[in-house]
Amino acid sequence: MILKALLLRPLLRRPWRFLVTVVGVATGVAAVISTIAASRAAIASFAEGIEEVAGAARLEIASPGGLPETLLAELRPVSGDALVVPVVEETVLLLELGDGVRLLGVDLLLDAEVRPVLSGDRELPDLDATLLGFGALVSRRLAEDLDIAAGDALSVSIGGRPRSVEVAAVFEADGLSAVWERVLIMDVAAAQELLGRVGRLDRIELVPRGSVDLDELRVRTDALLPDGLAASPPGERRRFAEQMLASLRFNLVALSAISLLVAGVLIATTLATSVVQRLFVVSLLRSLGASRARVASVVLLEALGIGIVGGVLGVAGGFVGARLALASVRFTVASVVRGIPASEIRFDPQLAALGLAIAVVTALAAAVLPLMEIMSVPPLQGLRTAPPQRMRTRSRLATVAVLLAMAAAAAALARMPAIDDLPIPALTAALVAMAALLVGSGLLLDTLARLGHAPFARLRGAALQLAAAALSAGRRRAAWAAGSVAVAVALAVAIATMVSSFRATVEGWTTSGMRADLWVRPLAAGTGVWVGRLDPEIVTIAEELFGPETADPFYSQTVAYQGRPVSFAGAAFDVVRFHGSVPFPGRDSAEVFDRAWRERAAVVNEPFATRFGIGEGDTVRFELPGGVLEREVVGVFRDYSRSHGLVVVDRSDFLRFFPDAGPDDMALFLPPESDAGVARERLLEAVRGRFLVEALDNRELRAAVLGAFERTFSITTALYLVTAVVAVVAVLTVLLTLVGERRRELATVRAVGGSRGQVLAMVVSEAGLLGLAAAAAGTVVGIAVGVILVKVVNLQSFGWSLELVLPWSSLVTMAVWVVATCLVAGLPPALVAARMQPAAVLREEG
Amino acid sequence: MTGAPVVELDRVGRNYRRGDEEVHALVDLSLTLDSGELVALVGPSGCGKSTALNLVAAVDRPDRGRVTVCGVDIATASENELVALRRRSIGMVFQAFHLVPHLTVEENVSLPLALDGRRDPDRVLDLIDRVGLGHRARHYPSELSGGEQQRTAVARALVHRPRVVVADEPTGNLDSRTGAAVIELLDELRRSEGAALLLATHDARVAGAADRVCELADGRLVGRRS
Repeated sequence: MILKALLLRPLLRRPWRFLVTVVGVATGVAAVISTIAASRAAIASFAEGIEEVAGAARLEIASPGGLPETLLAELRPVSGDALVVPVVEETVLLLELGDGVRLLGVDLLLDAEVRPVLSGDRELPDLDATLLGFGALVSRRLAEDLDIAAGDALSVSIGGRPRSVEVAAVFEADGLSAVWERVLIMDVAAAQELLGRVGRLDRIELVPRGSVDLDELRVRTDALLPDGLAASPPGERRRFAEQMLASLRFNLVALSAISLLVAGVLIATTLATSVVQRLFVVSLLRSLGASRARVASVVLLEALGIGIVGGVLGVAGGFVGARLALASVRFTVASVVRGIPASEIRFDPQLAALGLAIAVVTALAAAVLPLMEIMSVPPLQGLRTAPPQRMRTRSRLATVAVLLAMAAAAAALARMPAIDDLPIPALTAALVAMAALLVGSGLLLDTLARLGHAPFARLRGAALQLAAAALSAGRRRAAWAAGSVAVAVALAVAIATMVSSFRATVEGWTTSGMRADLWVRPLAAGTGVWVGRLDPEIVTIAEELFGPETADPFYSQTVAYQGRPVSFAGAAFDVVRFHGSVPFPGRDSAEVFDRAWRERAAVVNEPFATRFGIGEGDTVRFELPGGVLEREVVGVFRDYSRSHGLVVVDRSDFLRFFPDAGPDDMALFLPPESDAGVARERLLEAVRGRFLVEALDNRELRAAVLGAFERTFSITTALYLVTAVVAVVAVLTVLLTLVGERRRELATVRAVGGSRGQVLAMVVSEAGLLGLAAAAAGTVVGIAVGVILVKVVNLQSFGWSLELVLPWSSLVTMAVWVVATCLVAGLPPALVAARMQPAAVLREEG
Repeated sequence: MTGAPVVELDRVGRNYRRGDEEVHALVDLSLTLDSGELVALVGPSGCGKSTALNLVAAVDRPDRGRVTVCGVDIATASENELVALRRRSIGMVFQAFHLVPHLTVEENVSLPLALDGRRDPDRVLDLIDRVGLGHRARHYPSELSGGEQQRTAVARALVHRPRVVVADEPTGNLDSRTGAAVIELLDELRRSEGAALLLATHDARVAGAADRVCELADGRLVGRRS
């Protein structure tokens, strides 16, 4: 009977309440799951894929720029104890897919013992087709996506050069990591030839035979290797790779945590409202003899049900949302590391379980507090009309004191240094600031009501006054809604502030730093992410067409500096010293490069300088494959890409240590009075049919950079939507409850002369006031959080100095959007109130 | 009693559905109320007293017959006309007081004026004084006794100088002494304001103060006495 009275009947009679609560839970869970799933898919193949691809290999030898194949012969003495496996690996653009894939060149005969995809009871491909010609194995998923089968041809772009690969066989990747779905496996010799790396390997893997001692094998292997090379577990390469993405990963995790916060608040709002509105029935049942435990178990059972249903829907929605968010997250990743193939968004049972757990735990936790509240009300008191829940002066002062303490804590945390390069204190400060919204929302509503309440008779608009008074009276319910909407607003405002600051800074950066007339890069993937490098021949073609003094190819490799990954790059100092390039704050770019060229010095980007504490006049020392390079730093330039750090030396220095595998891209400084459009046509004509490249003029280049930036931050649009959903769910839930609780009052208003329109206006005004309060508080806190993100988090995470630019128009739009959304969300409860028949209600309510 | 009646019910019928059952709340009820007159409706619970009051208060419409209040036909009047009628010509007092809990005494009393876009602070404070709550003007309903709440409701019902006051069991939630005081106050104010009063009551003493008593049973008028 208790189950029926408290749960089943209300569910059947007012299913929308249950539905709105479920939607609240599902929205929160979906936000968390989509953020995590999209981040994982965008990053997975870069770091997590390393060990997966390494398979049974326990040691590997690798070096930036690759290894000579002759090293295999040097390792013959250990071949009795371990399989010595050559590997060539590169990300290439698969034209049919319009995206990057991992091209893995391995010894197919040996590899059956190394990689799971080729081992065990899996059917081995027709090796003849693979070993003769450019035959490749592709995964069943990729084959299905592209509708291809063995014998079909695939086109890949390597260094901008289109090449054809034959599908030799399709392999099954069931039960394996998603990484394998975007892999082309080829014989190592074919891969070397295809990639133009004949005689070179990217790494050599060692798979110990039997019970060989790994440490001993490592020592013996190291003894056979030349100086500067050593065997290490694949996990070390993974850790190295992870370091490059550590900041990014942390920020994505932080974004997930913030989603979780919003989700938690939303879930708490809907559940708390749902529980508190049972006060009357709970009191009645208790006065009739129901035990606390029995009532509590039914309420918690409902929370559990809502958690499970909302969790399942949220998980499903989260995986759909992840597909939509993937492009945006990949762009963010591409700002750190170019051309990582993305994994498909696959259903992940662990992540689904996490989503479900979040929903259930948060739902139960959210139900406990209000449950305690209604259980603490003596049954007879609960049956009486609730008096207005106005805040007492002591409570107001206590809340103010807590808010001040939180503000002080946030300010102190924001001033603290990063922990292990991660802006943990600053992000905690941001969370504290947002939590303050939840603490202060009750006080805010109370103050708002007092402002409108005192001069009741003097102010116009009875509906608005009644709305303010009612909102204050229902403060405990309304505060949850105001708090959750305010947190969503604060989040959106903070991100908008960061994006606006970022955009203004990047615009300034492109204007002052991008001086080239033309910019040549490999054909971008359909997703807009660049994959691979330019073929060295393209540099030669450009130099022949426009003169060697015009071409500035940019070469880069990832190397270790003080044990941490950084980008080591080569640029044509002899060219840029006449034109200038990247911006050096307060200095002439051309002069800095002229000095760097004359003194054979280096320039570093701001993230490198920040991360390693390097400034002008310091010396950087690199242990590179061909020896040690020491260069004085003569300039620190602004850079909003490689946040792990970038050191640029003259290309002659770079090419002394690394083979010319082609530049990442190339800038062209055309002679004065040259027409960039004509020059571009000449270049494209010269490479037509041989290379797939893009050439952008200066204006297009800036537009492309800003376009990439916009795509990176397209997630802000999603935040507007999340804010809207939160506002709708919170306002709808709370106002429907308040209207339900105030049936008698609303009927009285009608009876003493209130029109339907006034009742409608009253409830819509409540929604509007709620939205206004949330928008005002959310905007203030959002700006504060935005300042923390711009001035502290960005600097600590990425080493980027950003100019703080507040997006006033966006802030106004956001406030209007939130208030408008709340007004719209207030309409259904308002219509319920307006349609109420006063006679029937007064008769029913006594 | 002079002129046309302010309230006229002519063969009025009103039905409700209660689950599958059709309830005949009023059957052919005819009744008039002249200006300044006090009429009491008496009868057992469920006899149709409150239904009749709701019709006179213009918060409900008849299914059959005609209800005219201050010249307005309740059955055919538009929603706006009914709202205007309630705002300007009708005052209501309920058994359960029905004060807006988050408004003070002063605000509750001024509510009918505020809903009509009017202000008359002097009138509001004067009425509050007259019902003996001058010292409680800034208090909330939850801070008042039952009698004080009903006195507030009486002031609210009269603040806009209605021509008709409708009171549904105004003493039903009060002890006899407080109830008598409220009725005395209501009658005194009604007289001074010149309003007609239609009240439903179980209380014989309250009915005894009426100019006329109409007895209802099963929705029908079964007796009248003056």
